[in-house]
Amino acid sequence: MTTRSLAVLSAGLSVPSSTRVLADRLAAATARALAERGVEVETHHVELRELAHDVTNSVLTGFPTGGLREAVNRVVGADGLIAVTPIFTASYSGLFKSFVDVLEPGALTGKPVLLGATAGSARHSLAVDHAMRPLFAHLRTLTVPTAVFAASEDWDNSTDERSLLHRIDRAAAEFAGLLDRSAPASGTGELDDFVPFDQLIARG
Amino acid sequence: MPSILVLSGSPSATSRTAALAEHLALRLRERDHRVRTIRVRELPPAALLSGDTRDPAVAEVVEAVAAADGVVVASPVYKAAYSGLLKSLLDLLPQFALAGKAVLPVVTGGSPAHVLAVDYALRPVLSALGAHHVVQGWFVLDSHIVAVGDAVELAEGARRPLYEVVDGFSDVLHARRPLIDAS
Ligand SMILES: Cc1cc2nc3c(=O)[nH]c(=O)nc-3n(C[C@H](O)[C@H](O)[C@H](O)COP(=O)(O)O)c2cc1C
Repeated sequence: MTTRSLAVLSAGLSVPSSTRVLADRLAAATARALAERGVEVETHHVELRELAHDVTNSVLTGFPTGGLREAVNRVVGADGLIAVTPIFTASYSGLFKSFVDVLEPGALTGKPVLLGATAGSARHSLAVDHAMRPLFAHLRTLTVPTAVFAASEDWDNSTDERSLLHRIDRAAAEFAGLLDRSAPASGTGELDDFVPFDQLIARG
Repeated sequence: MPSILVLSGSPSATSRTAALAEHLALRLRERDHRVRTIRVRELPPAALLSGDTRDPAVAEVVEAVAAADGVVVASPVYKAAYSGLLKSLLDLLPQFALAGKAVLPVVTGGSPAHVLAVDYALRPVLSALGAHHVVQGWFVLDSHIVAVGDAVELAEGARRPLYEVVDGFSDVLHARRPLIDAS
């Protein structure tokens, strides 16, 4: 049986976090969809709230301190990435963007990515396609066509065509197809040539 | 005298964006504005990232935004959009923090390929914050920002179009003044 590694990035600020719940559901649905294809998954969660301090340090001082370096390695080294952010002011959160900012140019090129976002209401659903998707276009990831936006009112366990559960399953099926077809990420995920953020800034 | 708050959101200690922001502040002061500049990187990082508006320094910035007639929002282009650091500050402002205000978006970037980051990335966020009027923004190429002693100057060709945008922003604020006084 083949195995694929999955990094699950979630950037919720509150506890409990609906962003984390969405990330977990997407990961579970992906594991099910891959199992149907005879592929096993190994999942690693990166909870940015717990790393917020290291993320800011890294952005301000250039050194990826504490758990951040490991988190970056996990994300960069994984075969696929599930990235979920809360929507604040019509876009991804500052914490989410700061994590992306410290990644080296090209770090995610070609990686299959499933996008998710949470918000209080459906009013900002388009933020996924107008803010998140262009960011990942710049990162040159293989982004799954279906992204999952979950508003507070979506968490009602309904299972019709337009329900959250249905959308999660559809996105996960597309993601599993991409993961199954794509070659595993090369290397061990250890970035020996990790470029600290201060050097990225110096490079301009 | 319409007041202006200039926010710059680069994490860099030697930020060209922050230097440009100071440069624009000088010009706006000459045009009869009370101007204050704030660098987001000088705010307490923990409070910023956890969205803690009870932190005194953060609360003070939130108040300064509320009190300003106009806001300049300046960011470096990072990964084809505004910096995460700038967004962290914008995230903790009240939902319609820019209501009733004129706003000038300015970004600096390493490649002209990312000029549209002003209108495709930054402008929608400012609109979502309820800005009354987001004026024409501007993108400045980093190599056009030239250090001269402690300050910066702009390369020959970069000066005029930027100043036109900045002066236009100032005109909007001066023109709006009577309306604000009447309310
Ligand atoms: C992490 C990082 C990412 C960057 N990404 C871009 C980019 O996507 N597009 C661009 O035009 N310039 C990019 N640049 C260049 C900066 O936008 C440019 O040098 C800017 O003027 C830096 O401003 P600062 O000195 O205020 O930080 C990037 C620089 C860094 C450090």
